[in-house]
Amino acid sequence: MEDIVNKAVLFDYFSGRVSPLQKKSVESWLDGAGNRDLYYQWLHEWEMSRLQVTANWQYAYGKTMSRMNNSADGPQMEKQQPNRRETGIVRQWINRSWLIAASLLLTLAVCGWLFRDALFYKTVRTGFGETRSLTLPDGSTIVLNANSSLRFLRFGFGEWTLLPDASYQSLRTVELVGEADFSIRHLPNHQPFIVMTPKGVTILVLGTQFTVFSRARATRVALRSGSIRLTSHEKNERPLLMHPGDLAVLNEQGKLALTRTPHPETMASWKNHRFSFELTPLREIADILRENYGLTVVIKNPQLANRTISGSFTARNANEVLQLIAQLLQINYARDNNHVSFTD
Amino acid sequence: MIPGPQDQPLFDQGDLIRPLNEHDRTTLVVDNEHLIRSAFANSPEKGFESLFRLYYLPLCSHAVRFVYTQEVAEDIVGEVFYQLWKTGAYTAIQHTYRTYLYAAVRHRAHNYLRDELTGTRTVSSLDQVDDGRLDETPQTLIEYDELFQRVEKVIHELPPQCQRIFLMSRFENRKNQEIANELGLALKTVEAHMARALLQLRRVFLATVSILFVVFPGLYPLPG
Repeated sequence: MEDIVNKAVLFDYFSGRVSPLQKKSVESWLDGAGNRDLYYQWLHEWEMSRLQVTANWQYAYGKTMSRMNNSADGPQMEKQQPNRRETGIVRQWINRSWLIAASLLLTLAVCGWLFRDALFYKTVRTGFGETRSLTLPDGSTIVLNANSSLRFLRFGFGEWTLLPDASYQSLRTVELVGEADFSIRHLPNHQPFIVMTPKGVTILVLGTQFTVFSRARATRVALRSGSIRLTSHEKNERPLLMHPGDLAVLNEQGKLALTRTPHPETMASWKNHRFSFELTPLREIADILRENYGLTVVIKNPQLANRTISGSFTARNANEVLQLIAQLLQINYARDNNHVSFTD
Repeated sequence: MIPGPQDQPLFDQGDLIRPLNEHDRTTLVVDNEHLIRSAFANSPEKGFESLFRLYYLPLCSHAVRFVYTQEVAEDIVGEVFYQLWKTGAYTAIQHTYRTYLYAAVRHRAHNYLRDELTGTRTVSSLDQVDDGRLDETPQTLIEYDELFQRVEKVIHELPPQCQRIFLMSRFENRKNQEIANELGLALKTVEAHMARALLQLRRVFLATVSILFVVFPGLYPLPG
């Protein structure tokens, strides 16, 4: 290979006048020992024979020498640079400030992206055993049960947004995880209020009062007054229109089923620290204790788990609920921090 | 065999055994490095003086093939010399000064061009390059050669007026307004020609252009 690469070939190669095969042989020739130095020697000769600029080496040499001397003396170096070096430094400095500006902007964008939730949304959370009432900018009031969170737009809540299909979506929208009771104000322009839940159930409201239970084990909506429209993830499922006294439950297949409940308000009795049970098995009460107070409940006896409670009771904290249950069922319980076990 | 015309087909095998052309005969430097070495033995000042005398001009000429601005080319070459001097690397040159200088200048010129055309100028582009530790493979050497050839080709293929304006701006360091006055053109026309030239040049590095998308979040359901 090497013998077909000579100075003439390399000169043609530098001028871009070689065949791809010749270029390939130049590449393998470059691998040879010492050929890199030869390559640069010939590149230098090639360059010397077709210089493109005139430049004063004495000037450049003097400049570099004074730069050397000044850098030894310290920071005054910049001052004594000839004019052109100064423009070079100014240019570098401008580039640098652009760089800083750009990186700041990038940092902001990244932070904005990372904290976009905090930036664009306001999230209200309740801890275990805590309920909280809040009023939205549109005048609607919402009461959050324990261990729940509600998220809505910090800016632009109650406005409209244009969707890609040219329709408008109401930004009077909240996202709920947990349990909440809603009293939605009806607006003069009939703008709908929308509640989104993690399991894909969306509640469209004009102005009404209803309660949403949207936790891991179930999604339920109970309507007290007015009317609301429910949609689920299922695309081909028709929206469900609810009337007062209706209870909608999302079943395991992800479909919404409608039943009647004589007392829809009992689903929100937690607002007044009340617990309304209607033939509610202890198993389900254990779920409620876990959801509302973060308790891990163990029921030793399966028969015990099936015993039911009916009635409405007031309890301000977890211990009061536990005592109440123990009294009603005539059973014992032991509590160790967040661990509770019921025994006969 | 008689040398063929310059525009003969690339695959003409006659190329390989063609006698040396006129450029080869005007060989100016073969190996003067032993003179440089003895100058360095005398003093660094003397050594650098001979380095500048021998290599400053051809290095600038070579750097210009990449960056197409004489001022930038001279800055790059000057910086390489300055770093060689300041870091004391001239005492530990592995091969020849020539190899060191050309490799360093080409590397910096390549980086400068890449950063200018892809808009990713970083502080490291000009300052924090370790000229002595360049990992040059035959592929990088050829890549650099192809790069300056592509730049040359792009500028060669610019429309005459566009090319003229570009060269006036880059080599004579003229402001757009001055060029407009001299050529009797509107400032906007000159700016358009410059933009066109730069757009063409960008194609040299098109493959590496990256775009930063900043996407703003829409309202979406909470994750289940």
